[in-house]
Amino acid sequence: MVEREKTRTDDVPLDDKAKRMRDLLSSFYNPDHSSAPKPPSDYENLDAINSTSFDPDHYMNVLVQKSNLEGLLRRHVEMAAEIKNLDTDLQMLVYENYNKFISATDAIKWMKSNIVGMQADMEQLLDKIMSVQSRSDGVNTSLFEKREHIEKLHRTRNLLRKVQFIYDLPARLSKCIKSEAYADAVKFYIGAMPIFKAYGDSSFQDCKGASEEAIVTVVKNLQAKLFSDSESIQARAEAAVLLKQLDFPVHSLQAKLLEKLEQSLGDLQLKTVRIENILRESNDPSKQGKPFESIPSTGHEVSVHGFAEAIRAYRVIFPDSESQLIKLAQNLVIKHFEMIKQCVKRRISSANFLGALRTIWTDVLLMDEVLSEASLADFSLEAGQVTVKKYVASTFTYLLQDISDALLKVKVSPKEEAEEHALKLALEASKKAVLQGSMDLLLDFRQLLDDDLGLLVKLREFIVDWVQKGFQDFFRALDDRFLLLSGRKNPSSQDQGLSEGAPGEKVLVGIVLVLAQLSVFFEQTTIPRISEEIAASFSGDGARGYENEHAFASGEIRQIFRSAAEKLLHHYINMRTQRVSTLLRKRFTTPNWVKHKEPREVHMFVDLFVQELRAVQSEVKQILPVGLMRKHHRSDSNGSTNSSRSNALLDDRMTQKGRSQLLETHLAKLFKQKVEIFTKVESTQESVETTIVKLCLKSLQEFVRLKTFNRSGFQQIQLDVQFLRTILREIIEVEDAIDFLLDEVIVAASERCFDPVPLEPPILDKLVQVKLARSKEQSK
Amino acid sequence: MQGSSGIGYGLKYQGRCISDVRADTDHTSFITGTLSLREENEVHLIRLSSSGTELICEGLFSHPNEIWDLASCPFDQRIFSTVFSTGESYGAAIWQIPELYGQLNSPQLERVASLDAHVGKINCVLWCPSGRHDKLISIDDENIFLWTLDCSKKAAQSKQSSGLLHYLSGGAWDPHDINAVATTCESSVQFWDLRTMKKTNTIERAHIRNANYDMKKNHILVTAEDESGIHIWDLRKPKSPVRELPGHTHWTWAVTCNPEYDGLILSAGTDSTVNLWMAPTSAEDEATSESIAESATQQADPLLNSYSDYEDSVYGLAWSNREPWIFASLSYDGRVVVESVKPFLSRK
Repeated sequence: MVEREKTRTDDVPLDDKAKRMRDLLSSFYNPDHSSAPKPPSDYENLDAINSTSFDPDHYMNVLVQKSNLEGLLRRHVEMAAEIKNLDTDLQMLVYENYNKFISATDAIKWMKSNIVGMQADMEQLLDKIMSVQSRSDGVNTSLFEKREHIEKLHRTRNLLRKVQFIYDLPARLSKCIKSEAYADAVKFYIGAMPIFKAYGDSSFQDCKGASEEAIVTVVKNLQAKLFSDSESIQARAEAAVLLKQLDFPVHSLQAKLLEKLEQSLGDLQLKTVRIENILRESNDPSKQGKPFESIPSTGHEVSVHGFAEAIRAYRVIFPDSESQLIKLAQNLVIKHFEMIKQCVKRRISSANFLGALRTIWTDVLLMDEVLSEASLADFSLEAGQVTVKKYVASTFTYLLQDISDALLKVKVSPKEEAEEHALKLALEASKKAVLQGSMDLLLDFRQLLDDDLGLLVKLREFIVDWVQKGFQDFFRALDDRFLLLSGRKNPSSQDQGLSEGAPGEKVLVGIVLVLAQLSVFFEQTTIPRISEEIAASFSGDGARGYENEHAFASGEIRQIFRSAAEKLLHHYINMRTQRVSTLLRKRFTTPNWVKHKEPREVHMFVDLFVQELRAVQSEVKQILPVGLMRKHHRSDSNGSTNSSRSNALLDDRMTQKGRSQLLETHLAKLFKQKVEIFTKVESTQESVETTIVKLCLKSLQEFVRLKTFNRSGFQQIQLDVQFLRTILREIIEVEDAIDFLLDEVIVAASERCFDPVPLEPPILDKLVQVKLARSKEQSK
Repeated sequence: MQGSSGIGYGLKYQGRCISDVRADTDHTSFITGTLSLREENEVHLIRLSSSGTELICEGLFSHPNEIWDLASCPFDQRIFSTVFSTGESYGAAIWQIPELYGQLNSPQLERVASLDAHVGKINCVLWCPSGRHDKLISIDDENIFLWTLDCSKKAAQSKQSSGLLHYLSGGAWDPHDINAVATTCESSVQFWDLRTMKKTNTIERAHIRNANYDMKKNHILVTAEDESGIHIWDLRKPKSPVRELPGHTHWTWAVTCNPEYDGLILSAGTDSTVNLWMAPTSAEDEATSESIAESATQQADPLLNSYSDYEDSVYGLAWSNREPWIFASLSYDGRVVVESVKPFLSRK
């Protein structure tokens, strides 16, 4: 109904009408079909007039309820028009139907009239066909005999040809052999085989014998061909195929050929051995300049090429033999790497190492082309990883060795004339060894990194790791080595040194100082530089370098060496003081101090002490830097007043005897600025010297305290100390603490004396002067 | 500084030796003697007040000569031994504090016995460490003497070691084995069996100044060495020390193990400091994870504290047996300082 309204509003009434017609028709022919035109939307289901479930009463009720009068009237008009329309449509349909009936009746009538004449024509056609058939039968029977005959003749001819072929076979085979057309020969032979099998023992015996003979030669020739390297692979493969066709035991051939391959592999290895020899020779520095590859690899390459070709051929010939070949190829790679490992043990330059690696890698690539299943690249990558790692490790070991060699050289040659500079030389040499060595090392590794060899490219990250870890371990090992060299870890040598005091031991003491200074050098120069270098070239492509635990922790290493330097310095001081200590011990245990005679001259031990000091000084001067702080420090504190005060105190104490003595000492000490005797040792000439002097003087004081003196004994000590005071000023920078300690020695002696009457100053001076003059004379 | 926590007491003269009065179970007391060549020497009996803040002089006795060594009797608080010197000759004696000393002005010590068999320089007198045993050992340069003390008869009988022993310098009596004594000499530590008076073992080591047995653990000996270091030895493995401690800047003069706390060691040095160490050697004996972790941390720095408030070299050092966290030290200038190590124990 909406459509209806639409027809009024729209200008396409024709279309609408046609559609309507179609709808009506379809509803007529399948009335149950639910897909009738959809009911208009504004009256919901009830309005679906066209549907079967339409309830007109209900519809009317709803309509009446919902619409007003005007609406109902309009509806009435509309419905009336619709009904009229429907009537005309119905009329039209009936009319059309009727029309169709009429035309159908016409067609039936026409057909009936046409069929009547056809019967006679059909019968005529049948007669004609019958006569044709009888004639053809006649022809067939007449020709039958001749055809039989011809067929028989043909068969006989074929048989004859076969027999001819068999008889000709030996000749043909030999011809084939001559022309080397083995494929044809085999084909012929195989073709003749069934006949031979059937009649070989009777009619064709001779023929069979002859042709078998021929085939034997064929087989021989084929075998020869198979084994001859000069033949093309194609030909050889064909030969193998032919042999297989001849039922020849190919497996034995395969085994044989494999043997041959193995043999050629052996040859190859022999050649490589030669290469390694050359490599070793080229290792000596004079030839090192030459590029490695040019010397040995040409010959090698050719043979490897040959081997690869052979493998390729073999694969073509025996397609099922991969596993053996893989084994073979891996064997080759393993052998190669083993050889390199041997070389690595003998210390080779990185260029040579690279060269060797390159040779192997090219070999591997060649082989890989031929035998991709073997995944030789991966295989050799693994092997290469191990080798390169070993190389890196061994390089570090050699560096370590170099350094200790440089140090030990001094120890081995303790010649007196060289003594002066031996330590300095050792220091410089080892400094150089370390710095230069590690720089060279880095350069070498850099080469490894920069090389575009496939193997190394793949290993790059690992190499970065190894190098970093290598340095880390290297410095740790160096630290250990230092401790070992210094004898701290080897108590037996220490004892020996103490008790013997041999010249060799003296150099060893110096070495400790060298080691200490070397540690400082490492901490301040070498390690920062190396870590810089590493950061520059060894972390860039190893992005994970920073994260992983192998990374070169320069801070940690520096810490190790800082403490090592301190330890070693202390050890040096300790060793030096110990020597003086034994000296003093002897001095104080031997004489009977209570019955000492009047002092005539300064005791010898002072000379020995001074001698020790001079030795220290010469060592220290060679190795340690001059400290600038010392003088400054000295002018800082009011040293002169301090010492004069304690001198005054000393005089007091000596003259005044009584109960108040100790009290006064206490009081004086309270007022006196407390002298810090044992300050932190610095790694400078002055600091080390003064520390040693201080420790020795303190020991002297302690030894004095353990003894009891008579007046002369006390005076002897007084004299010795006085001389020492003078001579020390000549040798080293005397700081307050030393003055203080010298005073303390005299105080201690006076305390331990029954009758502490000091020498008269003039006598004291005179004796000191005499001694000074004499020592000067001696030094001249 | 830690030094301020110590309680001080001044002797009139210089002194070298101090000893814990072990037999006094009611008080923490120490006994010490002076070392003055030309003055009249004194023995001081010092008691730590019950509040623990003061040192009280409990007795003051004059002693005929300067005292080089002093040891209190482990079972009678009134008895002690001294080694003394006139400057020219040495002597050793057992003394008894008179009972009525509170009433006398300057009471005289009673000499119980003289250990008069020595010729050379006497180094020390050792009391048997295992309590009520009237055995004594005295060591001089060349000999060891074993004494049996009879207090009632006021006499001592001696038994002398055989052989020539050169330059003995001191010794220690094994608290775990009453028949074992260690002596130090110029080039080794020697171990003696007192029943046979024969040498049983030696540790070759140069210039050991002082040795002390671990009170708690068998076979552990601590030595102070010339190389300004402290070594801890397991006597079953005398080839090399179990541990090494750095010791002092100058000589390490004395070492002493705490009677109660395992691995707690005191050392006194001529660099005017006393160092407190924690060096347990238990790694192998008690392999609990705790002790391992502990030793790992201790490995980092065994030095717990350094008491540096001294004016002169410290020679005398003694733990209190009654209150084992207290120790007394005596520096050469005659100052006794009593300190408590409690703060460092709790930190552990």
